[in-house]
Amino acid sequence: MVESMLKLAPEFENVTEQKLAKMTTKNVNVFYGSNHAVKNISLNLHRDEVTSLIGPSGCGKSTFLRCLNRMNDTITDCRIEGEITLDGEDIYNSKIDVVQLRARVGMVFQKPNPFPKSIYDNIAYGPRIHGLATARADLDEIVTNSLEKAGLWQEVKDRLNAPGTALSGGQQQRLCIARAIAVNPEVILMDEPCSALDPIATAKVENLIDELKGRYAIVIVTHSMQQAARISQKTAFFHMGDLIEHGDTTQIFTAPKKERTRDYITGRFG
Amino acid sequence: MSELPMNRPTNWQSPEIALRTKRRYRKEKIFHALGFSAVVIAGFFLVSLLGKIISDGSEGFIQTSIDVDIPFSSSILGDPRELGAAEFEKQIRQVNMLLLIQGAMNDYFPEVTKRKEKRQILRMFSTGAREQLRNIILSNPAVVGSTQRVRLLASDDIDQVIKGNIDISLPENNRKVKDVEIAWLTKFETEDRVSRNFHTRFFTSGDSREPELAGIWGATVGSALTLLVTLTIAFPVGVLTAIYLEEFAPKNRFTDILEININNLAAVPSIVFGLLGLAVFLGVMNLPRSAPLVGGLTLALMTLPTIIIASRAAIKAVPPSIRDAARGLGASPMQVVFHHVLPLAMPGILTGTIIGMAQALGETAPLLMIGMVAFIVDIPGSVTDAATALPVQIFLWADSPERAFTEKTSAAIMVLLAFLITMNGVAIWLRQKFERQW
Repeated sequence: MVESMLKLAPEFENVTEQKLAKMTTKNVNVFYGSNHAVKNISLNLHRDEVTSLIGPSGCGKSTFLRCLNRMNDTITDCRIEGEITLDGEDIYNSKIDVVQLRARVGMVFQKPNPFPKSIYDNIAYGPRIHGLATARADLDEIVTNSLEKAGLWQEVKDRLNAPGTALSGGQQQRLCIARAIAVNPEVILMDEPCSALDPIATAKVENLIDELKGRYAIVIVTHSMQQAARISQKTAFFHMGDLIEHGDTTQIFTAPKKERTRDYITGRFG
Repeated sequence: MSELPMNRPTNWQSPEIALRTKRRYRKEKIFHALGFSAVVIAGFFLVSLLGKIISDGSEGFIQTSIDVDIPFSSSILGDPRELGAAEFEKQIRQVNMLLLIQGAMNDYFPEVTKRKEKRQILRMFSTGAREQLRNIILSNPAVVGSTQRVRLLASDDIDQVIKGNIDISLPENNRKVKDVEIAWLTKFETEDRVSRNFHTRFFTSGDSREPELAGIWGATVGSALTLLVTLTIAFPVGVLTAIYLEEFAPKNRFTDILEININNLAAVPSIVFGLLGLAVFLGVMNLPRSAPLVGGLTLALMTLPTIIIASRAAIKAVPPSIRDAARGLGASPMQVVFHHVLPLAMPGILTGTIIGMAQALGETAPLLMIGMVAFIVDIPGSVTDAATALPVQIFLWADSPERAFTEKTSAAIMVLLAFLITMNGVAIWLRQKFERQW
């Protein structure tokens, strides 16, 4: 049962063929009070691709990312305009249940934030609250499977009851990724997942992202242009809340159309 | 331009620098000395306070008794075999047990014949001695007809003489215990009939007008029941309020005013809460007077702000990244709070609660307002029975004229401190239990 759950739902196979966008955003504007943080962004995100959002600090890329699973809802005086859809459904529609949305659109944060619980409970928490598995055996399978997919299984299989916070920074971040994929999401949002990690841990996480890309739509915010070039197929360049340019990663990095993109990529500002 | 200090190389060997270093060391030394002396002074006061209480109070756990050969004569008590068990018991409850002591004293002091002096002898024994004799007879009716040596409780004045708290070198008119009584007491002592024993009655009985009969158990139970009510009301209400204000309430003018008011409530003198309790719980709701229920409710009002403030601080200290992580996995706001925030905040919440409860345990003023200051002999059996509390009991005893109540007061303070330490110990244990989950 779990096996089938972790596999792709049948309708997705066709989606891949048709190259339909998993998520679309149309004219998205975000305001913090009177501060216009994100301006008129329209961007499509595909299931079998890694999309990276790059740009200087404060350009609104993280804000935009957090709109995709409504993590901005809890911020008072944050106002969002425009349309964001998941499989053609408006996620800001009042009929949408935020809890289900966030199960479908998972998130990995900048700083590794495992729960102060055991490694096992960290992974099992999501499936438990969504009722994906109630039997212990099913839960065990989900935990094993998620840790294997996150490439952490070999390192932690003997100490699943050790606290998740006792792992190293890179392991913690992969634990967070495993935790996110344990609820079998369709999209994974990553907010600078490697900024707190050393180069070796970063490489491991990047490999992991590469392996995951066929199964999930992945959106990653990053400050490292090398990282964006290495792992993503699509790149979007943000500046001062505007989406300056987006397209295939190779095109953005080799033949940017806009001058500001070229300046940023070549390190003239940012 | 080259005259700017930062452009010149610093001479670390110069006398100015050496002087500066010396000054810095001196300042550190002075600060260290000040801090150390503050600790020493605080320690001195603590030790002398505890020392005084313990040296005074330890006497309160000891009580003087006199061994007396009591003839349990059947002419006074009746014969249990003739009367039957039920009839005999009824009779024993009516017989004046003083007659037994009087009989014993007539044998022991044959030289005393005056009525006044005979009565004086009887007053050397506690009024509780009668109860002692009655219990002996009721538990074993076979003693009737025999003479038994019984350890009778001495009166509080005799007890004070034995403990050396009444100075017998003073002129006779200036002390409560007269020369004849001391002479009689000396006779008891030379025959080795006077003994000082650990006074279990102090821990098992309620209040009394007689110091040698007064006990702390009634007040202890009263305090425990009061705190139980306080905890059951204040803890859930306080924690839920803190959760609501911190996690769910919108930030607007109304919640700002609410917050200021809660902070102000923490500073309101406790007697004002007593007035509130008097007006609302007794006046409007007509709850029973002097009851732990009302005391507990009043103290709960007093404790609430402390718990709310501490809980809010503890909840605020939970890193937002944990909330993000849970929300990002699709946890509902309730699940975020009850699965993640609350367990992490629990140690802090418990610390705040125990501070509030310790405050409530030591509080006297609000209890005076709602009538828990009454003289209550019975041990309260439920939260609606009349009761008193430990600090109020201490207050009452400290106010009593009898010399012997001084040591009882100190002994009661020791019991209160022991209660407090036990309570804190449990809280610390609980807190560590919660902290062990990382």
